Amino acid sequence: MSRRRTIALFRRVAQEIRRDRPSIALLFIAPIVITGLVTFILREGQTPQVDAVIVNMAATPGSVYTSALTTALEAEGATVTTAPDVVTAESMVADHTATVVIVLPAGLGQRGAPTITVITNGMDPSGEGSQVAAASKALVSVASSITGITPPTIVHETVYGTPSSDPITNFAPALVAFFAYFFVYILTGVSFLRERTGGTLERLMATPVTRGEIVGGYTLGFGVFAMIQVALIMTWVLGTIRVPSIGPIPEFSVGLGISVAGNPLLAYVVVILAAMGAVSLGIFLSTFARTELQVIQFIPIVIVPQFLLSGVLFPVATLPELLQPLSFVMPLSYAVDGLRQVFIRGADLSVTALQVDLLVLTGFAILFAVVASRTIRRDVA
Amino acid sequence: MPTDAMSPGGGAPAIRAVGLAKRFGLIRAVDDVTFDLVSGRIYGLLGPNGSGKTTLIRLLAGLTHATAGHAEVLGATMPSRTTLERIGYMTQSDGVYPALSVEENARFFASMYGVSADGAVEESLALVELADRRRSLTGTLSGGQRRRLSLACAVIHRPPVLFLDEPTVGVDPLLRVQFWSYFRSLADGGATIVVSSHVMDEADRCDELLFVRAGKIIARGSSRELRDRAGTTDLEQAFLRFAGDAEAAR
Ligand SMILES: Nc1ncnc2c1ncn2[C@@H]1O[C@H](COP(=O)(O)OP(=O)(O)OP(=O)(O)O)[C@@H](O)[C@H]1O
Ligand SMILES: [Mg+2]
Repeated sequence: MSRRRTIALFRRVAQEIRRDRPSIALLFIAPIVITGLVTFILREGQTPQVDAVIVNMAATPGSVYTSALTTALEAEGATVTTAPDVVTAESMVADHTATVVIVLPAGLGQRGAPTITVITNGMDPSGEGSQVAAASKALVSVASSITGITPPTIVHETVYGTPSSDPITNFAPALVAFFAYFFVYILTGVSFLRERTGGTLERLMATPVTRGEIVGGYTLGFGVFAMIQVALIMTWVLGTIRVPSIGPIPEFSVGLGISVAGNPLLAYVVVILAAMGAVSLGIFLSTFARTELQVIQFIPIVIVPQFLLSGVLFPVATLPELLQPLSFVMPLSYAVDGLRQVFIRGADLSVTALQVDLLVLTGFAILFAVVASRTIRRDVA
Repeated sequence: MPTDAMSPGGGAPAIRAVGLAKRFGLIRAVDDVTFDLVSGRIYGLLGPNGSGKTTLIRLLAGLTHATAGHAEVLGATMPSRTTLERIGYMTQSDGVYPALSVEENARFFASMYGVSADGAVEESLALVELADRRRSLTGTLSGGQRRRLSLACAVIHRPPVLFLDEPTVGVDPLLRVQFWSYFRSLADGGATIVVSSHVMDEADRCDELLFVRAGKIIARGSSRELRDRAGTTDLEQAFLRFAGDAEAAR
């Protein structure tokens, strides 16, 4: 492998990216906007308003419940009305004049545990979870005040310390890994495809350059941009720079200020390893594409499954048994896990789980590089 | 066919095709081609669109696998990576990087061939009269200017074997004359040059022509010889005559 040629390739790739403004924007601005947006949504998201309708079918014992429930619900900021029957109450929920119906059954107050029905609209399952939760919370407090038994207070801790109340802490590492992987893949794929379709690859293959030198040059070129990109994202995600209020603009802070338990440099290494693999993946997949649009069309096939199966959104352990093995062959799984190890657990190099992640990521990067270089000499149509 | 043409140095042929064939599915792009080409001469591959000129050049340069037969360049069986150092290939498409400047393109290909001297880059750019456009982005050049840059990148390492796939397409007449006199000077210096073209009036500048039709070499000789053999003064007529003979011989 000639150092000169690899470096010449690296310089050329870097020059091309530098002059490609939209790609630079994609690399550097998009991840910042998106992580910022996700953080904002998770942190500042509204708890949905609860507008309860109580249907009392239990006469007098029900009235006691109704007034106790009303007090409990209103204490939590909900509005409460009553309806004479379930049909009326349901039509209110259907019309969006109420969000949840609580039906007190006829047998309430007699022996045995009563069954209380809670009805929601059914159009937004995740949002309605909080409606049901609000109703049960009020019902538990009513039951305890009527029976005189105080329910226990539950405190949640984790082995790595008290869980952060910041909802983004668990999500941020996954996002960082995903962006580095995703953008590097798209840019390499498109840029290598241009090499194939623009006739320059044919020309390049007519020089004494080796396939390894080409993959090496590309990996260095995109690797450098990935390193800058990841450094930027990490600074943005972990940092907090306060900007004092100017006139009517209130004080705000730049940077998401997400807390990291471990060494950010270690997290950096994890992401860079993943990005190196993405370069080769881009080169490899460009073999199967004829146009730049087709590189984009691989996203639902190659990138989205990784997003779904690598623990970015759903923990790997909660995946159906059938799909779990798939998550083990996806590089992004190890990047996401590695980052969580560092961010949340505060893992250092002595932690086996992190060692495994780093090792597997290195393995993937090497494997993809070999596969990518194999595909390069394929006849260009 | 005169495959016994004398090389000035008298040694082995610079380029050799032995039963060379390439099929794409049912298409026989190159069909059992055998020839020897000696150094110091300019050979013209002449044939209509799709006759297999580009594929033949790609086979000779070792850029695609032959279905049958093999090619040798400077004594090495292709593909041979080390031999590529001594081959220049100007592709039919420009094959230069639009986002790089003229000079950056030239420097890049120079490094690929392991040429480090700045002189080589300067000389090549001067040759194609692009020295004053060195800082322009290649994407902003005119079609003919890009063609010229493409030539500069193909000869930057002064290769003894040069494949030129339709080098003068889009190049103005004045510069075309300069290109050909440059090719001639390279040949006089001992280089073997294979030029593909379907412009018949350029054919007279080649030492020898190879008529290509449907993947086969249907005739070989100097422009004068071929016209004489066909009994016509027009090369195009000669081509058609040989094509007709080849058809009849099937
Ligand atoms: N990669 C490929 N896949 C399938 N068919 C191909 C491929 N490359 C060339 N061909 C076919 O081989 C034949 C010869 O093509 P080639 O490009 O060698 O012709 P050519 O003589 O260079 O034509 P032109 O004068 O138009 O450049 C054509 O029929 C073409 O369709
Ligand atoms: Mg051609």
